[in-house]
Amino acid sequence: MLKKGPAKKVTIYVNEDTQYHLESLYEAILQFLMHKGVAGATASRAMAGFGAHHVLHTPKIEVLAEHLPIRVEFVETVEKVDELLPSLYDMVTDGLIEVQDTIVFKIANKEKRPEPKQPHEEKRDQAKLMRIYMGEADRWNGEPLHDAIVKKLRMMDIAGATVYRGILGYGAKGHTHKEHFMHRSPDCPIMIAVVDAPEKILAARDAVTEMIEDGLIVTSDVDIIRLIHSHPLTEAGDASTHAS
Amino acid sequence: MPAPTPAKILRLHFSEHDRYRGKPLYEAVVEKCRELHIAGATVYRGLEGYGETAEMHRSHLLTHDLPIVVSIVDTAENVARLLPAVEEMMDKGLIAMSDVEMIRIQRSKPKP
Repeated sequence: MLKKGPAKKVTIYVNEDTQYHLESLYEAILQFLMHKGVAGATASRAMAGFGAHHVLHTPKIEVLAEHLPIRVEFVETVEKVDELLPSLYDMVTDGLIEVQDTIVFKIANKEKRPEPKQPHEEKRDQAKLMRIYMGEADRWNGEPLHDAIVKKLRMMDIAGATVYRGILGYGAKGHTHKEHFMHRSPDCPIMIAVVDAPEKILAARDAVTEMIEDGLIVTSDVDIIRLIHSHPLTEAGDASTHAS
Repeated sequence: MPAPTPAKILRLHFSEHDRYRGKPLYEAVVEKCRELHIAGATVYRGLEGYGETAEMHRSHLLTHDLPIVVSIVDTAENVARLLPAVEEMMDKGLIAMSDVEMIRIQRSKPKP
């Protein structure tokens, strides 16, 4: 299963008309990858190119138009690539296979169903709580600082963050942020509370420190008591009533 | 990068209704913090809550009596200096104190 982190990217260069057991090689490769459960693969046709035979393949010359380069690419885990490479080595009789180290930065799947939930569970853990104080008017590269911080934390896979808006306060800047009776002040105090494992909070603290111009970050040790409530697992009896 | 230093966080829980010498208690507390040169204070208003009197604090059309939390972060000495003053101001309510690690960031010049 492909996850965020180090992975391998494999690129295979073949010709469009190279055959493999009476079908085109790139189609055979794609089918093979799909059969092996590779997360995803793309074949693209190049504009022009040349390879080992030193014949320029270009659509301009009609004889060679059927002979264009095809590039098949896919990204998979290191183990999966190790498993696939011997077969690919065998299949590609005419062409090139290239493997490079890569980092999977985001893997998103809209249609993914939520993982089956566990029955009610209680987890106790040592964790850290970080509170970040700033003003609502503070900006980071043109966007509100609190928005930017939450986005950053989200990218760092931090479990959760909550933004609070205060009604009155003062701090690093020395001026009072105050909510007015009739209209909301554009610069109320903002506090973001974040709870996660200690090492993740320390990493997040370093990242957030870089983003803030004036403000305060405090961290403390907390005990997490996480209650996971969820729908009971569907039982066999349940399923049969649905069927009837 | 500034190194974290040990500090204290003080959280005062009381009601928006509470007053001290004619003004809202939370405003009086923040003024007291400024007077004692405490580094900073932030007031939050909760949406709903209850306390020792077990009466519900929630927003009505006419009354506005919501829970208030004031959080103050500073060194242990400064918090110890503030604590008796705040205790004297609060009739009822709750004061919670815990240990934290603090990083104070001040890159821009403070206003005069």
